[in-house]
Formats: sequence, C-alpha cells, structure tokens
Amino acid sequence: MKKILIVDDEQDIVESLKFVLEAADYICYCAYNGEDGLRLAKEIVPDLIILDVMMPKINGYKISRLLKYDNKYKNIPILMITARSQEGDKLIGEETGANEYITKPFDLDEVVEKVNEYLK
Amino acid sequence: MGKVLLISDRTEKIREYSNIFDKKPFEFTTADDEKTVFDIIEINPPDVIIFDNNRNNVKSLIKKLKSAADSTAFILLVKNGIVEQEISKYINAFITEDMSESLVSSIVNANIKTKSALEQLHETNKNLAESLYRLNVLYSTSSLFAGSLDKEKLVNYMIEGMDKSLSFDLTCTLAFCTEEQPVLILNSLYEISDELLSAIKLRTVLNYKSLFEDKKPPFEIDVNTLKVKKTIKYPGKKFTFTIFRYDNMFAPISLGDNFFGCIEIFKEAHFTSDDATYFQTIAQQVSLPLKSATLYQEIKETNDKLEKLERLKSEFISIVSHELRTPLTAIKNSLDILSSGKCGEVDDSGTKFLNMAQRNVQRLTEIINDLLDLSKIEAGKMDYHFAMINIHSVIEYVKTSLTVVAKDKGLNLISEETPNLPFVYADSQRLEQVLTNLVSNAIKFTPEGKTITIRSHIANASQITSNNCFAEDLSKLKGDYIVVCVEDQGIGIAEKDLHRAFDKFAQIENSLSRKAGGSGLGLPIAKQLLEAHNGTIWCESELNKGSRFYFAIPLSAISALKEPVGIK
Repeated sequence: MKKILIVDDEQDIVESLKFVLEAADYICYCAYNGEDGLRLAKEIVPDLIILDVMMPKINGYKISRLLKYDNKYKNIPILMITARSQEGDKLIGEETGANEYITKPFDLDEVVEKVNEYLK
Repeated sequence: MGKVLLISDRTEKIREYSNIFDKKPFEFTTADDEKTVFDIIEINPPDVIIFDNNRNNVKSLIKKLKSAADSTAFILLVKNGIVEQEISKYINAFITEDMSESLVSSIVNANIKTKSALEQLHETNKNLAESLYRLNVLYSTSSLFAGSLDKEKLVNYMIEGMDKSLSFDLTCTLAFCTEEQPVLILNSLYEISDELLSAIKLRTVLNYKSLFEDKKPPFEIDVNTLKVKKTIKYPGKKFTFTIFRYDNMFAPISLGDNFFGCIEIFKEAHFTSDDATYFQTIAQQVSLPLKSATLYQEIKETNDKLEKLERLKSEFISIVSHELRTPLTAIKNSLDILSSGKCGEVDDSGTKFLNMAQRNVQRLTEIINDLLDLSKIEAGKMDYHFAMINIHSVIEYVKTSLTVVAKDKGLNLISEETPNLPFVYADSQRLEQVLTNLVSNAIKFTPEGKTITIRSHIANASQITSNNCFAEDLSKLKGDYIVVCVEDQGIGIAEKDLHRAFDKFAQIENSLSRKAGGSGLGLPIAKQLLEAHNGTIWCESELNKGSRFYFAIPLSAISALKEPVGIK
C-alpha cells in the first residue's frame, strides 16, 4: 500500500483528509507542524506529501524546497494546500517544486482523484 | 553754498579772489602745492576749482586732478581769453584776468549750480536703480512664494529676499510652521557667542509674547528648550552685544487668525522708511503661501490617512477571508464525509439537513470569494489576462454551465446571438465571471416557467442609450462596442433603486431578494471588471415585469487601447 504524509497545523483538516485517503486504501502519516513534517518525510519517505503552506516556523514552501533539492526525496509528488489564491503564491509554489496547488476550501473527492493520478 | 578752491602761486590773484569768494555763500580755500590740493580734494571736495594758467605745469595738474575730482567743475583763469585746444576739453569754463568781479562770481555760481543739479540727477538715478533692484527682488521672491508649498522653503525665501534687498547683519526668525516645535532661525553675518545667543533667544520670545499683549499666545515657548538653527556667513568674526544698539525692525508673520511666527532684523546702518515698507511687505507676502501650505498639508494628511484606512480595509478583508477559509474547509470536509455515507447511512431527514449545511457552506464560500475579488480589485492587485477572444464562446460557456441550474428551477435559458461578431481584446475568464453573475441573478429573481435570454450585438456608442440614471456613464462611450444583454422576466427593480444596483452591499431590500441570498458584491465586482476593460455595465428594469442587464466591451483597435487597469 502507498504511503501518504499529510502536514497541516489544522488538525481538523488533517483528520478529514486522513479519513478519505484511508478509505481509498492509502496509509496516512500525519504531522501537525513543519519540523515534524520534514522529519517524518525523511524518516518514512512517503509516496506523496500533502502540504499546507501556512504553518508557523517552517512553512510549506520551505519544506517543499528542502525536499525537492534533495536527490533522495525530489521525486516525491507534493500537493500544496493554501488558503491564499493569489497568482503570485502559485508562482512561488511552482518555484519551490510543488506538483499541485489546491486552494481552500477544496473538494475532498478532488483531492483523492489528484492523489490517485499520481500514485497509479 | 559752494566750495571754491583756487590753485595759484600769485599773491595778488589770491587776494583778489579772496575778496570775491571768501564770504557767504562761498567757502574759499587756496592751495598751490600739489599734495595739499589732493588732501583738500579727499577731505573736503570743492565744487569748483579755479586753476591759474600762470602756474607752472598747470596742464599736467589739471589732467591728474580730473580723475581724482571727477564731479568738480574746473575753471581756468587765463590772461587773454586764449585757451589751448588740448586743455579746453578738461575744463568747464574759463575766466580772464580782466573780467569784472561780478562776472567772475556769476560764472563760478553758474558752474556750482550745474554741478549740484548734476549731483541731484545722479542721486535720483541711484535711487531709481535701487528701487528697481528691490522691485526685482520682490518680484522674484513673490514668484518663489507662489511656487512652493514647503513651509521651510517659504521661510527661507523670505529671509533670502530680505538679505538681498535690505542686506541685514542679523535676522532672528521665530517660526512655528516649519517643524512640529517652534524654531529660532538665525541668519547672521558673524558668529554668535553663547551668551549673545541666550540674550537673542530671550529677546525674541519677549517680542513674540508682546504681540499678544494680554491674550494667551497661540504657542507656548520655553526659552531653555527653544530649538535654534544658525547660518553664519563669516564664522571667523564674532558679533558682540553691541548688536542690540544696531538699527532694528520687527514684524509678525500672520494672516488673519493664522500665526506663523515673527521676524526681527538688525543692521548696523540705519534703515530708511523704504526699508521698513519693504520689510513689512515681504513679511506679509509670505503669510499667504504659508497659509496655503498649511491647508495643503492638512489636506494631504487627511488624504494619507484615508488612503491608509482604505488599504487597511482591503488588507483586513483579505486577511479575514483567508482566515475564514481554513475553518470553512474543515466544515465542508466533515459534511462531505458525512453525506458520502462512509460513516454510516444517513436517513432522509438527516440528508435534508446535511444538504442545507452544504448549500450554506457553498454560499459562504462564494461570499468569501467575492469579498476577496473586490478587495483585490480595489487594491489594484487583480490579475487580468487580456487576449483577443470570441464573445460567443463566453456566452456558450456560461449558458452550458447554468442551463442545469435554470432547468432545476423550471426556467428556460436561451441565447439569441448575432452571428460572426468580431473578436474583442478582453480577459475571457473575467467576462465569464460577469456573465455568470448576471445570469445567476436572473435565475435567482425569476419565477418558475419564465424565460431568461442572453443576447449579443454590435453597436456604436451613439446607438447605446438609456433614459435612466446610467445615461451619464453611457455618454462617455466612444466608438464601436459589443453589447451583451441578459433579459429576465423576474421581479424587476424599482426605478428609484436602479442607481444603487451596482453599489456595494446594496441588495435591494425585499423579501424575495433576501431569500435568494448572495453576497451583494456580484454587481459591484462586475462593474469594476468591466471598467478594467474600458467597458461599462448598466441595466433597465420594470417592477414585476423583468430586468435587462447590459454590458459593453469596446471594439477599438488594440493599439488604441489604454494599458488595462489593474495589471501588475
């Protein structure tokens, strides 16, 4: 079974993502801050990461950049979640190597579909 | 009164002329030695010099004296009335030895009078030149005053203007208008010692207070903390306390109730009454621009404050909207999971309330999106992607996506398009947003069984008219436009409410519109989006019969299009 790491400081959102992804037969690992997210990513080397942008200390952009510049992890697809929708943010997201960009409030079914696309 | 100098070495001639001139109204001196002559000219210049032609070297003496005593009349005493050509050009008149006393006296008198008339003319000329110079300074100072709204500069212009025309030794300007605190501006020829400075400070403050007699002065000043700005022309030399014995003038700088400061100037030489007039004029003249500058500053400050508020408002909306999205996502996700049945079956009434919650989450999402759009547009941060687009595909897209919604409500959504309309330079996504909004509104406000029609046509500005409150907007249109119209058979808008249709949060109060929901921002957003296209939006409506919402996009050549608003 494929492993997915969900990193978001909003526990409720992590909870709902975990529910639908587990229902779709994925193993989910959760982190509620940037440090744990980065540590877990390196520890378990997931097949895909769902990453929130706005987090205290280490934000999603930073994590994405750190992973994408590391040969060991650069092939892990990253889905970025943000409450922002400015085009400028999208550009930064692309620069930092995120594969997808999802704006809140998102559709859970859509997220599952996107994940399926990357992991099939 | 005339001063006569006789240069002769002949005793009998000296005696003879003493008889004529050594009495009033003359002042008579004689000399022979060249050095004495020069001394006399230097100390007490004569009006007339009589040269005895009999004297040795009289020619060279005359030539030498001509440059030293430029304005003095030269008279040559000759024996027989013959004057050498060479010397005649240096002398004003000649007398002969055999002339009568009265004739000599009258010739000398005439020359004295001519000389004094010339002197007067010269003096008048000098005065005229000075007045002209002052007028010039006044003129250029006035121009400087008119050209500036910077109070510090205005005060400096005033001091410069006074320096040029009055050439003072020291000015003490107490200014209340250049900085937050009062400033004593000193412009001085020489350095000012600390003791003298404290005396000047004290004097200035006393002068200032004396302007208000018993009344309370508009500003409190503490001599000890008064800020001083010194400009010294020749720092090598120092002023002493004798400065207070110099001639001085003092004037307030004020206009009506506005008090800007006061100025005192010192000069070692005496000021004339002209100087006084001039001084007052400049001090008065600077007051008006200072007042304008004060008003300008006030307006600018208010403006800045408003701009800041406006920015804060936009930022606030943006932050709040973003912050709302996160909890909204959690609610939406939970509802979606519940209604998916993955947490167990939900019965019919449960489903009903789940749907209600989902519907309202959707509505809240739309409101937040609208708020964000509007704040982006107002902050000039909206992104536009202009390209040559086909209006037909915009209409087709909106029609396709909303047909189902219309059908669900039992409405007929149709389009009546003019075929082969030319392309327009526009952002298709934004136009879709506008049209979606107009059609959604029509769907919301039209009762079951009726029809909503989307029309398109091409029109010249002159053909686009409306006899209601949008006439003014429409009169600004120029050239050809593609006009899109959404017509419904809904509740309509009363004539008196039409002008508010595109105002923010101006959903027309009535029960049906309340029930229909919405953020009340759709139309104001549409209006702003169309303005970014150099287009316009307007509507016609009749209560209980229906509304027609129109928007127009210019067909003008791309080159003639202005840089679209809001592109960053």
